[in-house]
Formats: sequence, C-alpha cells, structure tokens
Amino acid sequence: MPKSSTDKRHFIIVGVLVVATTVVMGLLLNGVLPLPEAGVTQASTVDWLFRLHMWLIAILFALVVVLMVYSFYIFRRGKRTDDGEHFEGNTTLEIAWTVIPLVVVVIFTFIGIQTLNEITASPADQLVVKVDGRQWSWLFEYPDGTQSDELVVPVNTNLRMEMTASDVIHSFWVPEWRIKQDLVPGLTTHVNFTTDLEGEFELMCNQACGRSHTDMVTPVRVVSEQEFTAWLHQQMVAQGRQTASK
Amino acid sequence: MAVATKSLHGAVAAHDDHAGHEDYATRLRLNRLGMWLFFISEAFLFGALLATRFYLWGDTRPELDQMVGLIVTSVLLLSSASMYVADTAAEHGQWRVFSVAAWTTMILGLVFFLGVVIFEWGLFPQIYEGHLTPWGDKYGAVVFAMTGMHALHVLSGIVLIFIMWRLARKKHFTPEKHWGIEAAAIYWHYVDLVWIFFYPALYLIGTAHH
Amino acid sequence: MSVRLTSLALVRGLIGYFVGFAAGMLLVMAARLMLGMEAWEQEAVYVGGIVLAILSFLLASGAMTDWLKWTRGIATPMRHGPPPGQPSWARYFGIDYNHKVIGIQYGVTALLLLMVGGTLALIFRVELAEPSLSFMSLDSYNVVFSLHGWVALASILLGVGAMANYLVPLMIGAEDMAFPRLNAFAYWINVPAALTLMLAIFVGGWDSGWTAYPPLSLRGAVGYQFMFWAIFGIGLSSILGSLNLIATILLMRPKGMALFRMPIFCWAVLATSLIQLTATQFIGIDFLMMSFERSLGMPFFNPIMVEGVNMGGQPLLHQHLFWFYSHPAVYVFVLPGLGIISELLPVFARKPLFGYRWIALSSLAIALVGFLVWGHHMFTSGYGEYLRVAFMISTLLVAVPTGVKFFSWLGTLWGGRLTFPTPMLFTLGAISVFLIGGLSGPVLATVTTDLYLHDTYFVVGHFHATIFGGFVFPFFAAIYYWYPKITGRMYNETLGKWHFWIMTPAFWVMSIGQMSVGVLGMRRHIADYDPALQIATGQLWVTIAGFFIAFSVLLMIYNLFSSAEIGALAGNNPWRSRSPEWQIPSPAPEHSYASPIRVVGEPYDYGLAGSQYIAMAGAGDD
Ligand code: HEA
Ligand code: HEA
Ligand code: CUA
Ligand SMILES: [Cu+2]
Repeated sequence: MPKSSTDKRHFIIVGVLVVATTVVMGLLLNGVLPLPEAGVTQASTVDWLFRLHMWLIAILFALVVVLMVYSFYIFRRGKRTDDGEHFEGNTTLEIAWTVIPLVVVVIFTFIGIQTLNEITASPADQLVVKVDGRQWSWLFEYPDGTQSDELVVPVNTNLRMEMTASDVIHSFWVPEWRIKQDLVPGLTTHVNFTTDLEGEFELMCNQACGRSHTDMVTPVRVVSEQEFTAWLHQQMVAQGRQTASK
Repeated sequence: MAVATKSLHGAVAAHDDHAGHEDYATRLRLNRLGMWLFFISEAFLFGALLATRFYLWGDTRPELDQMVGLIVTSVLLLSSASMYVADTAAEHGQWRVFSVAAWTTMILGLVFFLGVVIFEWGLFPQIYEGHLTPWGDKYGAVVFAMTGMHALHVLSGIVLIFIMWRLARKKHFTPEKHWGIEAAAIYWHYVDLVWIFFYPALYLIGTAHH
Repeated sequence: MSVRLTSLALVRGLIGYFVGFAAGMLLVMAARLMLGMEAWEQEAVYVGGIVLAILSFLLASGAMTDWLKWTRGIATPMRHGPPPGQPSWARYFGIDYNHKVIGIQYGVTALLLLMVGGTLALIFRVELAEPSLSFMSLDSYNVVFSLHGWVALASILLGVGAMANYLVPLMIGAEDMAFPRLNAFAYWINVPAALTLMLAIFVGGWDSGWTAYPPLSLRGAVGYQFMFWAIFGIGLSSILGSLNLIATILLMRPKGMALFRMPIFCWAVLATSLIQLTATQFIGIDFLMMSFERSLGMPFFNPIMVEGVNMGGQPLLHQHLFWFYSHPAVYVFVLPGLGIISELLPVFARKPLFGYRWIALSSLAIALVGFLVWGHHMFTSGYGEYLRVAFMISTLLVAVPTGVKFFSWLGTLWGGRLTFPTPMLFTLGAISVFLIGGLSGPVLATVTTDLYLHDTYFVVGHFHATIFGGFVFPFFAAIYYWYPKITGRMYNETLGKWHFWIMTPAFWVMSIGQMSVGVLGMRRHIADYDPALQIATGQLWVTIAGFFIAFSVLLMIYNLFSSAEIGALAGNNPWRSRSPEWQIPSPAPEHSYASPIRVVGEPYDYGLAGSQYIAMAGAGDD
C-alpha cells in the first residue's frame, strides 16, 4: 500500500471503491425505501425524482465515507510516533468543492421546478370535488351536489380537489397518489391529479389534528366511468329519498 | 422579552472586583456592546409584531383616533430630547439639570403611557370611550399587541430612569463613570425609535377599515 | 459536611416556584372576582400561576439578587470558589458565577432532559412496535410524543449552552464570560421553565407536537399554556446566553488572537449565537400571542368569517413566525456540534485543520442562509405557489457550505496519523450520521418529492439523523474529550468503546428504519397504523434499536460517575492538544489562567516543528 498522501495510486483505489460503493448503496437505498404502488399519472414524475435523489445520496455518501474509511486504514498511526503531514488547505480544492455542489444544486433546482410544474398542472376538463375536513371525518361534495364521506372517483380522469377545513388543519394524502395538501380553516386549497389505476386505497389525514388524527382515514375507491356514474346516481337517489322522507 | 435589569449591569461595575485585570474602560466597552446586542435582539421582537400587522391587515388599518396618535407621538419624541439633555448633563456633572431633565422624561413617558392606556385602549370608559377591544377582531388584537408590547418597554424605561435618578442622588455617578445613565438614555431613545416605526404602521399606512 | 437544604439555590427556587404558583393562581382569581367575573377560568388562572412561579423561582433562588442590589447602589463583589462552609459539590446547586460551574450545570441538566426525553420516546415506541393500540390511548400517545419532542429539543439547547459556556472562555483565555451574572441567570431560568414544560402533563399536556399549529393548539387542554410559557423561558435563556457569548468572543480575546486565529469551535458558537440572539424573538412573541389568544380571545390565528370576509386571524401566520425561528434553530442544534468535529479531528489526526477559513466562514454562511429557508416546512400548507419555488432554491443552497465542511474534514484526515480513542470514534460516527441526515434534506427540499414525504416518518428519520449526527454524537464526543479537563481523571476507555459500538449501529437501524416505514406510508403523529402498509417489521426494529441506544447511554452515565472516583489521573494534556485549555492544570483551576495568555501562532499547526500557538506570561506547563 502506498503511504504518501499524494501518491496517485490512492486516488485510483479510492475511485474504484467509490464507484463500487455507490452501486451497492444505491441498490440498498432503493431496496429499503420502496415506494407504494402508483395510482396517478403524476406519480411517475415523483418516483423518478425520488430515485434520482437516492442515487445522488448514494454517490455523495460513497464519496465521503469511502474516503473517510480509507483514511482510517492508510493513515492510522500504528507504530509511528511523528505527527501528520503539515498542510493547511488548498484553495483550488476548496473552490472545486464549493462550485461542484453548487452546480449540482442548480441542476436539482431546475429539475425541481420542472417536475413541480408537471405535477401541479391543472388541465381544463377537470372533475371538481369539494372536500371538507373536520375532526375527525371527511366530507366530499360532487358537482351535482351529491355528498359522501368516502371518496369515489372515476379512473383515467383529471381531478381537482377544492378543499377547506371547518375546525383545525387537516391534510389530504393518499400514498398511492403521492401528492399531499393541507386543508386550512379560512382558506381554500386545491390539488390536481389524474387517476390511472382502479382499486381501493385509503385517504389519510396527514396533519396532527387532535385525538383521533390516527383514525381520520376513509376509503378511496377508483372505479370505471360507468361504475362511477352508477354510484353517483345511486347516491343521489338515496339522498333524495332521505330529504323527501323528512 | 425585555430585561431592563440587564442594562443596570454597569451601574456598579466599578465595584466588581471579579476582573483581576479589568478596568472601567474595558467594562464600559463590554456593557455598550451588550446593550447593542440586546437592541438587535429586540429589533426582531418588534419586527415580528410588524410582520404580524402586515400579514393580518395587509393594506387596511383600523380607524384610530388620529389626534391621540399625533399627540402621544409628539410627547414621546419630546421625551427623547429631554433624555438627551439628562445624559449630557450627567456627562458634565450638572446633577441639578440631570435631575430636572430625568423627571421631565419620566413624566412625558408617563403621559405617553397613560395616553395609550386611557385613550387608545379605552380602559377608563368614563373618561374616554375606546373603539377597540382586544378580543373583537384582528384589528383590536394587533393594536393591543403592538401598543401593549411597546408600552411595556416604555414602562420599564421609566423604572430604569427612576432607578438611575435615585442612584445619582446618592452620588453614585461621576461625569467619567455614569454608564447606568447612558444605558437608560440609549434604551429610551431606542424605545422611541421603535415607536417611529409603529406609529405609521398603526395610524397611517393603508385604508381605514369601517 | 452537612448542608442545610435551604442554603441550596435549587431547593429555595423550587419552594419559591410552588408558592409562587399558588399565589399567582389566587391573584388572578381575586382579580377576576373584583372585575365581576367568575373566579375560575383555567386558562387565565393557570397563566397567572405559571408566570409568578417562574419569577418566584428566580427571586427565591437568588439568581437576581445582585441586580436588585445594584438598583439600590449596593456593591456586589464577585465570590470565587464554593460558598463558605459548604462542600464543593454544593456550588453546583447554587447560584455560581464561574462559567465552568455554569457549563457543568447546563451539561448535567441537558443529560437529565435527554434521559427524560429518550424515556418518553421508548414509551411510545413500545406502543408503535406492533400494529393496534395496546397500552396507550389516542390521547396519551399524542401527549407523550409531543412532550418527547420539546423535552429532547430543550435538552439540545442546554447541551449547546453547556459546551459554549464551558469551552469558549477557556479557549480564548478569558477569565470568564463578559457578564457572569447574566450567565447564571440564563442558566437558572431553564430550570423553572423545564419544570413547567413537564408539569404540563398533569393538566392534560398538549397534543399538537412541538410545532403547535393553530387552530388545534387554541383548542386543546390547558397544558398548552404550560408549554408556551416554558418555551418562552427557555427562549429567553437562549437570547441572554447568546448575547453573552457574542460579547465575550468579540471583546475578550487575548492579544494576538485575531478572529481567524480563534479555536474553530468559537466560530461555530459565534454563528450559533447570532441565530439565537435574533430568531428566538419570533417564537417568543408567537407563543405569547398564542397564549393571549387562548386566555383573552385575541384573534391572531383563528379565522372569524364575517360575511365572507376574514375578520379574525390566520392559521398560517403562526407557521411563518414559528418556522422563522425553528428552522434557524436546527442550525443552532448542529453548528456547535460541527464545531466540535472540526476541533477534535486535527488533534486525533495530528494535522492542521484543512481550510480553517473556509470552515469558519461556512458556519456563518449556513447561519445566514438558514434565515431564508423557513418556508420549506410549509410546502403543503397552502401558501402562495411561487413561495414554494423560492424556498426550494434557498434551501438547496444550504447544502453548499455544509459540503465545504465535510470535504474539509476529509482533507484533515488525509495524510494524518490517526488514532481512535472514544472521542475520535464519536466524531467519526457523527460525520457519517450527519451525512445521511443532511443528504436526506435535499429530497425534502425539492417540492415535488416533499409533497409525498411531508409529515411522514421519512422526515422523522431525516431529523433524528441530523440531530444525532449534528448534536448527540458530537456532544458525547465532547463529554469524553473534555472529561479529563473537567475531572482530572480519565474515563474508562473500554466502556466508552462499548458505548460507541452499541449506539452507532443501533442508531443506523433506527434512522434508516424510520425513513423506510415513512416511504411506505407511515404518517407522523399516529398511535396506530394499518398492518397492510407492510411496515410492522420495520417498526419493531426501530423500537428495538431505540432500547439499544438507551442502554448505551446508560453505560456512558455509569462511566462518567464511576471514573470520577477511580479513573486514572489524566495529567494536564492527555491528548497532546495545542488548544489553550489543555495548557493549564486538570481539573481546570478556579481562575483558569494564572496570568493572561498571548497568541503567537496558528491554532492547528500540528506537525510543524517548533510552532507555538500561545505563550503564557508566567511559567507554563510542560
Ligand atoms: C434530541 C432530540 C431527540 C432525540 C435524542 C430523540 C430520540 C429518539 N426519538 Fe425522537 N423526536 C424528536 C427529537 C429527538 N428524538 C423530535 C423533535 C420529534 C418530533 C416531535 C413532534 O413531532 O412534535 C421526535 C419524534 C419522534 C418520533 C415520531 C413520533 C410521531 O410522530 O408519532 C419517533 C418515532 O419513532 C421518535 C423516536 C425516537 C427514539 C426511538 C429515540 C431514541 O434515540 C431514544 C433513546 C433514548 C435516549 C437517547 C435517552 C437515554 C435514555 C436512558 C438512559 C433511559 C434510562 C432511564 C430509565 C431506564 C428510566 N421520535
Ligand atoms: C437538527 C438539525 C437539522 C439539520 C442540520 C437539517 C438540515 C437540513 N434539512 Fe431538515 N429538519 C429538521 C432538522 C434538521 N434539518 C427537523 C427537526 C425537521 C422536522 C421539523 C418538524 O416538522 O417537526 C426538518 C425538516 C426538514 C424539511 C421539511 C420536511 C417536511 O416536513 O416536509 C426540509 C425540507 O426542505 C428539510 C431540509 C433540510 C436541508 C436541505 C438541510 C440541509 O441543511 C442539509 C445540508 C447537508 C447536506 C446536503 C449533506 C452534506 C453535503 C454535501 C456532502 C455536499 C454535496 C451535497 C449536495 C450537492 C446535495 N428539513
Ligand atoms: Cu385530521 Cu389529522
Ligand atoms: Cu428546516
């Protein structure tokens, strides 16, 4: 093993180790951090960026940790009694490791803005559902006035939730749909997404809202267009009958 | 978070034997820096209140009594002048002048304080019917928060000047060593300065809400 | 020697606290009766109790006695050494103006709070170990995790105070802090404040987590009032303590110690103190307004709709005020810790600190940019869309100066002569842990991914890693490293290594486990979760790891106590450090420096033959 700190062989070894560690770390990270199934078109953008981030973490983690652990081994004192080499810094290096992260950060800012615009875009043909959050239940209102405490929406549809809260702050989150938005008393907030997977999911309140925050969960059903129309109709009849019988 | 007592530190720093190699000049430099750091800190307190005002009111404001505002503001500015006189007098050892100017400042400060409490707060409806309550709406809440926090500072300033006046009477200060008076004076000017920001924020900026 | 209990400031203060509490409550009730209201209204009555209790503690303990004397022109000479007629331990329970005593007081209190906070975590972690509610109720879960958050954060603030107070005057060769009485006051106000924080649990606690978002925080139990005023007190301590530190660093350095020749830790403290001095006011006034809205109904945060117009307050105002403090505060948690890392690496690498100026200035840069990023906690809050982008950019920028530190540390290690005693192990552990914590930051800073991750356990994993890497590990490193200077004896190295080798892997499991369950869909602040999320195994691991961490911390506590009696004598400078505090006897004497020191060289010139950092006027050691 080379002992001098400026020996080129060090950097070749370190380089190889960094690459290897990056690959291992990247696979590991993506392994222990699996994202749930995706249920909206926007999810692919979020997931892609998340994976990209994991690889960035892998690279930087490998870079720092490999250099560190390698130093432990090569530069441990062992039997030597002298002090380390005397160098106080290197301006070129300092500038390099200021500028390179800066460039990375600018790139990620750029990607961040792009992807944000993608996932928040609000197309014209949206089905608007009004959402009201309260301690501790949800109320959804469809354009025809139908009300429901579970969320049923058609698949392959552009949706827009217009949300507010009646008491304290709540938050709208379906993991499969990725995007999250708070419901704030006195404000109207919204979230847009496009369903592309039929199935049953769960809408979870994601903002501490008091005792039953834990249980402020309601079923979400994404169904075919026909089923949705049928459901709406059925709800309308049920609610109509209710008002009639009063 | 006012700690008026802190600025008293120097009043008796000369008696502080702790510093083996510390003289009055060193202590004075430390005290002055400490005071200015305290002001920087307080600027954020008042800044937070101003931020609250602009966040909640935007370009509106409550309908306040412009006359009262103008009068208390003038009184407070005037008190800054008398405090300046007091400080300069102490510097020259003119203790009679100091005494008169200190009392003038305290009285003007008290007038400001009572002006706010009686008129703007309407605490004594027998004398003056106030038009806001703290619990009414966002206007009342913010007016009381801003004037209240400022009034607290005015009050502590008056206490501070009173303590210095008493110490001066006991011949505690000399023209060379009168940090306590200096501290009280710059504290007073600072509290005035804050009002110069608060006054327009409360009385002038934005359209009055009915 | 026997000690009369009431001669101890702590005991007097506690008596004062409870007497004051009762008096304050009675006072408010009397006032209410006089105003023609019903006597009992819990919000106002308890606030009266709390405020008078804290004040009485300070008066009864004697933390303000000297100042009160000053107002009457009475001189108060400085007293040195233990109070007359009392054993030396008694001074740690009294009002003492020596910064080394105050530093230890801070440190012990911090460790106590860490144990309380950690134990609370273990309690609710047992509940979370498997799905379904077992021994906790929904309410008790909320209260316990909320208390865990603030108690643990209070422990950090005190731990930071411990390191800064003990080390800064020693490192710059000053006799003491600029304002010793203010220093004692700033410590002592933490005691009634922390007590108030924990008493909250007896009146229902508070259920919103440490962030106390209204309107929820305007509705819950009266425990909220306890929390608001406790944090106000701890905040006041931060402000006064940092004021003192800045004045000390700026004006009390010895001849020849230019700013760029200070030990690097002082730079970290300077940057930290700038944040504490200023931003803390925001949480102070925010919590005051919250308290007033609860007890007087002043609408700052709760909207009141009148014909479609909001005449009341706004919930988001709190989030802005709160995070304007609480984001910069996270750099208060870590900057001193990163300073400890920079301080220790050169000693154990026998090499100069790589890029001293860059490291010094990066602390300032982190502190300053840290003021512009608070909105990254509010990406989902519903504030203006354009703000999201602005806060994303500023937040990502913080990665740059932080990276400078990491790479400079690597430069310090490279080519050194490394040894690995316990403090060095904790330093290196800190680097690796803070790295993963820091790197998980940009994932949250990019809005797109944060909209998924916000308020999940991914965030919980992120901040436990940054807090442990930036505070807990470096704090432990500092404790082991300066232990010989404090006690004159060496800690038990074997136990120290056990501590490290248990805590580090356990921590990795805990933090990665948290991130993992978070990505799978585990929300924060919930007592129970759906087994369908497939996170039960991960949750169990997190809980087990938490217990391992607690056990390892117990090893340290045992080590610190037992070694004070039986540890080998350490000598003045066991680490062969160049820093001034190691050139004086161990334990550090009452007056640290027999005569003023002079700086004649660079602080970290390890490996440069014949170089000297300081010169002592008198006969120096070795
Ligand atoms: C210093 C800061 C700090 C520390 C050290 C810890 C330590 C731990 N934290 Fe905590 N945590 C926070 C700060 C901290 N935390 C904050 C700020 C929050 C947010 C709260 C909020 O959302 O409002 C939080 C929230 C939080 C959550 C999320 C709760 C929720 O959202 O529902 C979880 C869950 O796993 C958790 C777990 C743990 C665990 C297992 C430990 C373990 O490391 C604990 C291990 C124990 C110790 C380190 C202490 C040593 C203990 C002993 C020596 C015990 C001996 C005593 C007896 C045997 C009686 N923490
Ligand atoms: C204790 C300290 C601490 C520290 C140091 C940090 C550091 C950072 N934090 Fe963290 N954070 C917290 C404590 C901390 N945080 C807490 C307590 C919360 C939760 C509060 C709550 O809700 O209860 C939180 C939450 C939080 C959020 C909100 C998440 C959410 O609620 O949705 C965000 C979002 O941007 C964020 C980002 C960051 C970033 C970008 C950094 C950066 O400073 C990190 C910089 C460091 C690095 C990046 C690593 C080293 C750098 C390099 C090796 C150079 C190269 C790197 C790149 C090019 C990327 N944090
Ligand atoms: Cu609603 Cu949590
Ligand atoms: Cu933050």
